[in-house]
Formats: sequence, structure tokens, C-alpha cells
Amino acid sequence: MLLLSKKELDWGGRKLLATIRKPNKHKLYDWLMSYLFLLPALTFFLIFVVYPMLRGIYMSFFDYSITNFEFIGWDNYVTLYHDETFHKSLINTIVLVAVAVPIVIGFSIFVAMAIYKKSEFIRSFCRGIFYLPAVTSVVSVTVVWGWIYHPNFGLLNYVTNFFGMEPKSWLGDPKTALMAITVILITTSVGQPIILYVASLGNIPTSYIEAAQIDRATPWQIFRKIIWPLLMPTSLYVIVITTINSFQCFALIQLLTSGGPIYSTSTVMYGVYQQAFLLGNFGIASAMGVILAIIIGIISIIQFKYLGNDVEY
Amino acid sequence: MIKAGNESAYQHFQNRNRGDTMQGSKRRFILFIAIALVVSMFLAACSEDAGDEKVKEKDSTKVPTSSDAKSVEITWWNFPNFQALDGEVGKYEEGIIAAFQDKNPDIKVNLEMLTFEGGPEKLNVAIATNTAPDVIYDAPGRIIDWGKKDLLAPLNDMMPEEVMSDISPALLKLSMVGDEVYMYPFNTGPFMMAVNKTLFEEIGELDLLPLDRPDRTWSVEEYEKALNAVKEKAPDIIPSGFYAKSVAGDQGTRGYITNLGGSRFLNEDYSEVAINSAAGVKGLEWVVQASRDGLVAPGAASLEAGDHNDLFLQGKMAFAINYSAVLKSLFAPNKTEDFEDILLPYPTPDGSDPKLEPFLGGLAVFNNEDDDKIEASKKLIDFIVNDPEWGEKNLIQTGGLSARNSITGLYEGSEYDYSELARKFITDPPTTADGYAEIRTFWFPALQEAILETKTAKEALDEFAEKANATIEKAKSAK
Repeated sequence: MLLLSKKELDWGGRKLLATIRKPNKHKLYDWLMSYLFLLPALTFFLIFVVYPMLRGIYMSFFDYSITNFEFIGWDNYVTLYHDETFHKSLINTIVLVAVAVPIVIGFSIFVAMAIYKKSEFIRSFCRGIFYLPAVTSVVSVTVVWGWIYHPNFGLLNYVTNFFGMEPKSWLGDPKTALMAITVILITTSVGQPIILYVASLGNIPTSYIEAAQIDRATPWQIFRKIIWPLLMPTSLYVIVITTINSFQCFALIQLLTSGGPIYSTSTVMYGVYQQAFLLGNFGIASAMGVILAIIIGIISIIQFKYLGNDVEY
Repeated sequence: MIKAGNESAYQHFQNRNRGDTMQGSKRRFILFIAIALVVSMFLAACSEDAGDEKVKEKDSTKVPTSSDAKSVEITWWNFPNFQALDGEVGKYEEGIIAAFQDKNPDIKVNLEMLTFEGGPEKLNVAIATNTAPDVIYDAPGRIIDWGKKDLLAPLNDMMPEEVMSDISPALLKLSMVGDEVYMYPFNTGPFMMAVNKTLFEEIGELDLLPLDRPDRTWSVEEYEKALNAVKEKAPDIIPSGFYAKSVAGDQGTRGYITNLGGSRFLNEDYSEVAINSAAGVKGLEWVVQASRDGLVAPGAASLEAGDHNDLFLQGKMAFAINYSAVLKSLFAPNKTEDFEDILLPYPTPDGSDPKLEPFLGGLAVFNNEDDDKIEASKKLIDFIVNDPEWGEKNLIQTGGLSARNSITGLYEGSEYDYSELARKFITDPPTTADGYAEIRTFWFPALQEAILETKTAKEALDEFAEKANATIEKAKSAK
């Protein structure tokens, strides 16, 4: 039996009271320490992320060219509202995201499901192959795809020729150009999701799946009722990141099509580049950037609302 | 016993705990100091400029020596206008600077090489952020636009009457805004087309080319015959090229279509578009029909000037539509096939004289509100263009002809001779029109629409004219 004297109890009580009475000093100390640790990163974040963002919003209300900086209120936004090229760019961007994101998610899960139970060697090999386009320079990838799609000497036309198809200008035809870009975007986007899904699948307890198998659940039921819900946190991250990356697709378009033919591959990000750096209209470019950020923000919030949950396993 | 044992264990625990807490506090304190040091160093580094300013202020109290007072540092941004020495971009320019600084020890020149791809963007950003260079060697399209925006220092004092009268009016028009000279014209040459002469020798159809005529002028009909001969006798070779992917090399498509139809691109006073006239439409319709007939490289809507050049330099295409004596020498290292490339003027409907847009390179000085720098920049320009030893050498290194009519015979070879002769066909290009930078962004989508036949040539050019005219009007009213 544990017995404590009155003195000891008094001592413990005083200590407890002291702890209750002096939380602020400790808290202040911890608070200060935490923020000091954060300060270096926070400083860079404020200077290179927050400040340019706020400055971008500010600039969007100005007629800002290489020689002019004049407040014009909402005029840049009004101009964009009436600008047909911007409308086309916005539609192209949305189509690009709407097609690329589901395919990236579906394909990544498919590959991850196919390889996560295989031997370590096969898993690493497949991860390496699919991750390669993500770590390769965009310029190199683009040059290779440029030759694949080349209208006169392209590999794709060579292959389709075997099936009796006429040579096609894949990037020069408004009907195929955006889809040709989407294919490249997908190949460069699947690497990271596959790695994340393989890791995530490895964390799902096998007992859940074995229990379902004992209950004679079909593979599809196991996937839909067990695996997919448990992958949700990973899926949420992958969906949000892929959506943002697809919205910001720029390098592929600049290097392969310059937004053409007839604006069929022009995206909002390409429009920002064209207005700011080719035409020197920094105000309109900023307004485009703000609109794009708002759209991405709204879509991300919706995704968090409907896909975010507190799955723990 | 239990009680006593518990008490001692409790005290031991308390002591250890106190010791840990003290150690932890010590560690945290050291960390705190370390982080505070790092942060203060970071902040100090950030405020280095301010510190420097103070040092400078202190230094400025010194009595200036005569050499300090005159010393000027200027920046020269250059596109690869000179052929690279030993394959090293910027090496030739460094040689110019070394020679210039020998003669002007009080001027220090910092060189920065630009690329044709990224340079224009870099210049736009630099101007917008007040970090423009002092000297730029570029083409009139951009330079005159800056001149109209009062960003440049006038160079009239560098251009006495005898120099002005030695430069053709077309080139002077490209170097001036009103009465002010903003670009010191240096190297030039007419843009035209080129043919793979070796191919025509091989297929035995050399007679179809106008090479026996001194000025090599020819008609669209003769051109068509030559294209059809390639199509029939060398089916693996693409007869001619065209490109409409991006703005780069737009002088080629402009010159080609205006001459094929016999039209101007803009009217004489640059107040509106002229290419949507009946003649201009005829020129573009010819290209569309030639594409249908397999006389033009397939997929022209997705080819850019570089792709088009590559096809020609690889010997896969008979005619290139964007060539000049300068480009011929610049392209020489990229030729993968050994063939003779010959300059030709664009064909015209009746074989009359063509109108060729000139390539023109020149130097300009940004007005960075420092008279010493402006004067030093002018000295550098004068050295590059007029130095008895370096002037001619520099011109030859560009591969171009002199902007001065009196300086001829720099090169040996029939193509340079022809290029000299073709100077008589030079016309005023639209690149100095108000708002041209934006106008050219509407040009290639119009070509794409016509080539892909989503619109007729007339509709495409009318739409282009509508947008371009609105831009000209906007740019004029903004002045």
C-alpha cells in the first residue's frame, strides 16, 4: 500500500499549484522557441511566396507595362471578361484538368495495385520507370515528344501507318493538339502518385482484407469498401496536387505548340507568360494569375470538403 | 519500509527529474542563442546593402582623385549577333571589350549575352524594374518601340550629315522616331528565300531556277513549275516550307505572302493593315492551295521557323522561305547534308521586282539618367561600328552587309555579291509600326486558320486586320 505523508502531499500540492499558476512563462518560452525555429523558413516564405502573391493582387488593379503604372481599378478583370482568347484559354485549362486528373488517379491506382504485392525488385523497377519522366528535365521530355508527334518524320505516324492511317499533324490539328499535350502531361504526372499509392497500400492492414475474403467479398467489393476508403488521405493529396499542377501546365505548351494552333492549346498559365513577358502587360498577367489562383483555391476547397476525412488505420 | 523506500525513490526521481530539467533548459538556452545568432546573421546579411551604402557614404567624403572622377562602368547586353569565336558564345565580344578598354581605360564594360529565345523577356522585365542595360545591340522592332516610349537616349550627335546621307532611307526609317535617331544601324541584308541548288542539279532541272538572270527575279508560275518538278522527280523531298507555330521568323511568312500576291503588309503610313487586300488574299490562297497540292511541308501550322530551317539544312526540303546572307553564314554549322544553298528573291505574280524586308542590326543606348554612362555607351558604340581596326572586323563577324552604302566588297563569293545587288529591292518593314509587338501575336493564328482551312484566306486576313487595326489605334492613342 502506498502511503504518503501530509508533508509530501503538501509538497505535491504546492508543486501542482505552482504548475497551474505559472503556465504563461513556460508557454511563452515554448511559443518563442517554436517561432524562432520557424523564423528562417517563415522569412523565406514571407519574402518569396506571400509578398509576391500580395504584390500580384495589387498589380492586377494597375495598368502596368514597361513604362506605365497607373491605377485602373477592375479594368484588367473587365478586359479579361470580354477577351475571347482568355475564354478559350480558360476552357482549355479546365478540359486539360478534367481529363488529366481522373486518368492520372485511375492509372496510378491501377499500377500501384498491380505492383505492390510483387517482389521488391519488380516494385522498384516499375516505380523507377514511371517516376523517370517526373525527374527528367521537361525540356528533354518535350524534345522527345516533339519528335514522336512530328508531322513529317514522327514515330507516332510511323506506327499508325501500320494500321493504314494517314500521317497526321498531331500538334498542328486543333482537334488533336490539346489531347496530345494531355497525354504528355499524364506521363509526367503519374510517377509521384504511383509511389505514394504503393506506400499507402503497404500500410493497409492485411487482416481487414483477409476478413473480407473470409466473408466471401469479391475483389471489386474489397477495393471499393476497404482499399479505396483507406487510400482516401493519399487520394486527397494526389488529387489536389495533380489538379494544381495541371492547372499550371505551361512548359509543355510553350515548348511544343506556343498555345496554337488557333489557340487550341493556349492555357491560362501560357496567357500569363505571353502577356507578362512577351507583351509586357504585367497588370493583365497579374489579373489572369489572380483568377487562376481563385479557381484553384475554390476547387481545392471543394476537394477537401468532399474527399477529406479522418481515416486512421 | 515501503513508505521509506518509496520516499527515497521519489526523491531520487525528483532529483533526476530536476537534473534533466536543468540539462534540458541548458540545451534549450544554447539552442536559443544559436538560433538567435543565425537569425541576426541572416538579418545582417539582408541589410548588407544598407551597410554598404553607409560605407560608400563614408568613402564618398574622400577627396576624389582624377581617375576616380572619370571612371564609368557600363553594361552591354548582346544577342548572338556576332558569330561565336571558337564555338564559345560571348568570346568575340570579350575581345571587343578588351580592345575598347585598352583605348578607354576609364570605362569598364560588363557584358551579358542574351539568347534570341529568352532575351526579349529578360529585357521587358529589366526595363519594368529599372534595371535596363546601358547598351543593347538588337533589331529595330524592339529598339524603336523603346524609342517611342522615351526609354532611349538619342544618338543624333553620333550621326553627322555625311553618315546619314550614306544610309538608305528605308534603313534610316527603321532607326528613327520622328527626327531622333535611336538606333545606330550597323549590319543589314535583305531577307529572301533559298534553294537547294544541288538537288536541282541532281534531278536535271536547274534551268527551272532563275539563276541565269543577274537579279534572279522570277514569277509565281515559274516557282510553281520548280516545286512540281521536285514533287515529281524527288518524291522524298518536301518541295517548300512554311511555318505558323509562333511569332519567331515572322518576316519570312510576311515577305513570302506579300510578294506572292503583290501586296503590302501595312499601308504606307503604318496606320492600318493592307495584307487583307485582294492581292494579299491571293498570296495566302496560293499557300493554302500549294499545301493541298502537296507542295508545302505538311503540318506547317505546328512548325516554327527553326523546324522549317532544320528541314532545309538537313537536305529534306528544296526551298526555304526565310534566308539571308547573314542567316546563311549563321546556319552553315547546322547543315547535316553537303549541298549548295543559293539565295533567291521571293517570286512575284508577274516576275517583276520583289519587295524584300531588310534584316537590320543596330546599337542603342538606354537612358538610365546618368550622362556619364550615356557618353561612355556612345563611345563603345562608336568603337564597335567605326573603329579603324575593329569596325570592319566586327561587321564581317556578323556575316552581314554594312548599313552604309559606301562600305561594300567585304566578302568574297557570289551569294554576298547577290546580296549586295538585292539591296535595291529593300522595302520598309512593318516592325516599327505602333503596337507591332502585339500585332505579330495575331499573325500566326490567322495563318493557322487559313492553312488548317477552318477559315478562308479572306476571312482569316480580315479577322487579323480587325484585331491589328484596333491594336494600332490603341497604341497610337496611348502615345
